[in-house]
Amino acid sequence: MKAVDAWRLSAIPYSEMAFRSILQNSSNMWWGSFGRGSSEASGREDLVKRSLRIARFDKLIVAIFVTVAAGAPFLPQVLGASYGISASVTLSLAISFAFIVLYGVQTLSSFVTSGPSPLLSTLPLLQNDVSFVNLLSFVRTSDYLVVGSVACQVFFVSLVTGSVLSGLFTLLAGAMNSAIGVSVALWLSSVFYRNILRSKEGKRGGALRFVLLLAWGVVVLGIGVLFAAAGYLIPLVQSVLTNPNALAGSILSLVYPFSLGISDGAIAHGFTPSGVEEIAFGATAVYLLIAVVASKWSMSSVASFPESASIAPGAERAHDTSVPLRKPVAAYVVKDLRAASANLPSAFLFVLPAFETLVVLLMRVYLPSLGALTLLVAMTLGGMVSLILPLVLVSSEGTGFDFAKTLPLKIRTIVFSKASIATAVFLPAVVVVLVESLLKPLTSPFLTMVPLASILAVAAASLLEVRLFLGFAPSGRATFALQEFGRMAAGAGVVLLPGVIYATLYLLTFNHILAAAAMIAIASIELIGVVEFVRRSDLTHP
Amino acid sequence: MVDALIEAAGLTKKFGSFGALNGLDLRVMPGEIYGLLGPNGAGKTTTLKITAGLIEPTTGSVVVSGFDVTRDPIHAKSQIGYVAETPILYESLTPRELLEFEASVRGLAKDSMNRRARQLAEAFEVVSIFDLPIATLSMGTKQKVAIIAALLHQPPILLLDEPLNSLDARSNRILKELISLHVQRGGAVLFSTHIMEIAQRLCSRIGIIFGGKIVAEGDLDQLRARAGEKDATLEEVFMKLTNEASEVENIVRTLRESFFDDEGR
Repeated sequence: MKAVDAWRLSAIPYSEMAFRSILQNSSNMWWGSFGRGSSEASGREDLVKRSLRIARFDKLIVAIFVTVAAGAPFLPQVLGASYGISASVTLSLAISFAFIVLYGVQTLSSFVTSGPSPLLSTLPLLQNDVSFVNLLSFVRTSDYLVVGSVACQVFFVSLVTGSVLSGLFTLLAGAMNSAIGVSVALWLSSVFYRNILRSKEGKRGGALRFVLLLAWGVVVLGIGVLFAAAGYLIPLVQSVLTNPNALAGSILSLVYPFSLGISDGAIAHGFTPSGVEEIAFGATAVYLLIAVVASKWSMSSVASFPESASIAPGAERAHDTSVPLRKPVAAYVVKDLRAASANLPSAFLFVLPAFETLVVLLMRVYLPSLGALTLLVAMTLGGMVSLILPLVLVSSEGTGFDFAKTLPLKIRTIVFSKASIATAVFLPAVVVVLVESLLKPLTSPFLTMVPLASILAVAAASLLEVRLFLGFAPSGRATFALQEFGRMAAGAGVVLLPGVIYATLYLLTFNHILAAAAMIAIASIELIGVVEFVRRSDLTHP
Repeated sequence: MVDALIEAAGLTKKFGSFGALNGLDLRVMPGEIYGLLGPNGAGKTTTLKITAGLIEPTTGSVVVSGFDVTRDPIHAKSQIGYVAETPILYESLTPRELLEFEASVRGLAKDSMNRRARQLAEAFEVVSIFDLPIATLSMGTKQKVAIIAALLHQPPILLLDEPLNSLDARSNRILKELISLHVQRGGAVLFSTHIMEIAQRLCSRIGIIFGGKIVAEGDLDQLRARAGEKDATLEEVFMKLTNEASEVENIVRTLRESFFDDEGR
């Protein structure tokens, strides 16, 4: 089969895979939400069209974002900074690597669990051709992203250094980086989706899931730190890498992707007899070998997915059928937690509010006491992040929501269960603030009211969001995004309002007691109002 | 007079400009297996989904055990066990977790529910897969789990949409027996199929659905009389009543000519 024909044919299994991935993990997409199920035939058709549109748009948006992010570390040199490019190349490769892994894990789940297209295997095609088409459909998952980031890196290195050789080395480094990144994403997907989801949840499976969750969190937060501290990191790392007396330089020259950055810098700016660059070139050769091996492994894995995906799970067999019982709301909460935690990115969202709150507090660690502004910002940010949860929980229902629709369920049972989870996820953020307030004096004792009011506001916002997400069916292309964002904006307004009231009253009266009391009062009114709204609007079933 | 367990009146359902149902009426009495027989796209699945409360009719109503499905869905759904043509389940859950969710939401009594879950799981040979994610199961096994979920609360009404399609011979037989026992106890079954033999053997009454409405209804003898075809099989009656007999003959003739032409070349 000709490569052009194979590439054209690969669009079909890729579209199918993108569709299945979105159905499985709709919450991962930057705006996707399919929680209303698909029982309406017209809705199913709309779902297919919308999924493919979102898949293309999602890939394009992520690719643009990653391309910009990969170019950002070169900004100092473009603006005239005099130091070399080693640190910038290193940071750029690290950022694009992290994004390739993150995006890959999101999009490759369907590829790993059921193969790109079992249908291909049934057609009269040679096995090699089927494997080749599968490989190309796999390439399509991250083509924009890889091409965009590598082209951006090559462009900036060539622009800044004026060296063709350095530009070519950057092309090689970018290709190696992408090959290793895609292979890591594929491996992570395989480990998570095949070994864990396809087997009985045991202690080992639980531990592995937790480790992967932490690894995921480290990568996500790592990207945040890289962005936040890029301005300080680049000159600092550059000085370490180019200091011939620093032991750190020698050690880092062995570490990926520093080896590639140092080697690129040496090609662009000339060698210095420090030994660091020689080590870096040696390490780069080893990483090149690793990239080749990783690529071969990826190709062979992808090529064999149609067969390997159908391997029966080797899990323990059950011997009893005892089924525990819970209250309806608790049963829905447990079901939601199980469904959402089966997905790496959405599982991480359960710890994100506490992380975000901690980040805000750490950013103000130099302050001697904990003030109203810090608390309001920390709690509001944690609350805002918690509001992603209702969307994720509604989305993670997927097509299974049709099963819930056949049950005698009141809509408020679903609303209260999902809002309970979102509020509970916010509680660790409150704990973080309360622990911080034990370590640092508060500017006013009444500031302890702020986290408590935030809990009420987050509960109210979560209830409102879930009710809105379950209540109205979107129609049309333009209105869809507006409605999704409109629902989240309504929740955000409910979270923000008590804090705004606190800030406004304090600025007018400089009285923490009055401001805190008003904040509690407004948050309570919000919660009572939304509960009443949910209760009254419970006239229809899901 | 005994009240019908399922009563649909004037049902219409539009998907955009397409009318999937165009004024469908049917009644299913206690102790009755009502077979909804029709070609693909005739409206069988839409009828069952509306009766199960999955989608709302454009106009008309369905009342089950005296509860209007649209106006009183909570009570109506407690009366129904529904098996979809393609199993609709939470695929990231295991069968045990799914049944736990369902039984908890339905508020079933623990001991009797567990006894029933065990009996059904053993009957359909799914005990060993009780802790595997549903996503990893074969289509037939998923169908068995869906059947167990539909029967778990012993509903008076069973809505079965092509339930035998993916089942093996053993499970097929067991499900048929379960359906018979269900109606012997006074339950009602609304059963959708396009397989004539199944409808002929299993159903006490058959409604032929075509173009979104019931075009003929009754037991086999009544349908034969309606079609004016004494001793005809259900397939022949069906073809006659849906005016498809001559059309099918024409298609078969064209295909035969086309095949022989191809061989001649």
